[in-house]
Amino acid sequence: MDKKVLVIGLDCATAEVVFDRKEELPVLNELIENSVYGNLRSSDPPITIPAWMVMCTGKDPGKLGLYGFRHRKNFSYKDIWIATSYSVREKTVWDVIGENGGYNCLVSVPPSYPPKPVKGDLISCFITPGDDKDYTFPAELRVELEENFGPYVFDVEFRTDEKDTLLERIYDMTEKRFRVLNHLITKKPWDFFMFVEIGVDRVHHAFWKYMDKSHHLYVEGNPYENVIVDYYKRLDGLIGELLSNVGKDTTILVVSDHGAKRMKGAFCINEWLIEQGDLVVKEIPTSPVSFDKVEVDWSRSKAWGWGGYYARIFLNVAEREAQGVVKIEDYKRERDALIERVSGIKGPNGEAWDTKIIKPQRYYQELNGDYPDLMIYFDDLYWRSAGTLGHGTKYLLENDTGPDDAVHAQDGIYILYDPKNKSSVRKDANILDIAPTILHRMGLAVPGDMRGNIIAKG
Amino acid sequence: MEKEFTDIPVPTSLYKKIEEKIEGKGLTAVVSYVTKVLEDSLTKELETKGAFSKEEEEKVKDRLKALGYID
Repeated sequence: MDKKVLVIGLDCATAEVVFDRKEELPVLNELIENSVYGNLRSSDPPITIPAWMVMCTGKDPGKLGLYGFRHRKNFSYKDIWIATSYSVREKTVWDVIGENGGYNCLVSVPPSYPPKPVKGDLISCFITPGDDKDYTFPAELRVELEENFGPYVFDVEFRTDEKDTLLERIYDMTEKRFRVLNHLITKKPWDFFMFVEIGVDRVHHAFWKYMDKSHHLYVEGNPYENVIVDYYKRLDGLIGELLSNVGKDTTILVVSDHGAKRMKGAFCINEWLIEQGDLVVKEIPTSPVSFDKVEVDWSRSKAWGWGGYYARIFLNVAEREAQGVVKIEDYKRERDALIERVSGIKGPNGEAWDTKIIKPQRYYQELNGDYPDLMIYFDDLYWRSAGTLGHGTKYLLENDTGPDDAVHAQDGIYILYDPKNKSSVRKDANILDIAPTILHRMGLAVPGDMRGNIIAKG
Repeated sequence: MEKEFTDIPVPTSLYKKIEEKIEGKGLTAVVSYVTKVLEDSLTKELETKGAFSKEEEEKVKDRLKALGYID
């Protein structure tokens, strides 16, 4: 193949920093001034899994059958399965590139554990259970990496109040990753190179309230005010070093899977459903407990919910669920009535919410896998969902499972740099456009079942 | 440097059946087909086995809870 594409994946990178403060990021600024760039509308849901795979396959979550990290096992009440690389059945851009003779180098694109065979080299991502597992393809790559760089650092745990230690860990992880990236980019044959740096997402979740003046927990003059931007600045420098190891004819694509914004709080969906009479538990917990530990009276329950960055609601349907009560002929009516009531949910001070509700059966062209009955973005994702019970309130002003200041925003970013066509054009795009754009840039035909558009022809 | 390919003998009769099936002549076409079949078969086997042991799944679930993706 005579064309090369490098995809710089920055999980959760947001326009608020990358575009609005680009003068502080010289490398990214240089790219922006010579690129087509803009907001990148994420998938529904805008979560790391499935968003990266939506981006790399050109297929939406309904087609992929992936609606987050976890899914119900068929119509079980409590059994779940976790999405892994095996859950991705659609062809990725690197599959197509490999079939056409190109070599790939892929680093930590979620989900990439277990490592699937690829034409080229692959390092798995943060769902790898531990660094004692085989986490590379080919398997021998792991030995090479560990001999040169020590154990690979997949991720950090950001839900801690020990911010200084956490920050050190985030930098350590990122610096190590870029050492690995520079090694691979110079030593391995590749036509397509893609990596995802997860540090951006982690630094947002851990430090957003210190930067965002509109965050309800922001304190003027706090010592961590510049942490996020300083991290982006270091990242900018690391990207610059990486680019110095890449041929001048390489197309560069900087992307994020979703953006970030302040978290206003967490809404306890199951507390609300109990209040509404939709969910009946044997005993209301008096202290916070995970929903899967609560004994539910399924024979009297019509619905229950899951927490996370968005809410999933499941109806308890007769002859679908083991103890279903909602008759199939009443399914639509009950679901639509629930939508009406969810739409009316207000904030803790009676403030109106801009809640978005998705009916998967209507929303996706093709619906596969274990999809929920409803997908809810409370107040446009500003309020995450908490499935836990026993809080004694429906509104948590801090997250229920540890410190977390940010939620996901539906717009990430992209910067498409074509060395043969350097002009600065602002054009918003959709995450489904990335796969067709990559294949076009590789000189390959775009498969007919990829729904997105080529962002800019080259 | 390690060789990129190994030598695995395949019965000539099977080789000819593959050639007929893919309507392509020559070693390269057969190698591509056989590689794809073996990769798909291996992936399916691994899928049946599951990506995680019970213990690993609990570990990953705890990590995802700590990351806020699930609760």
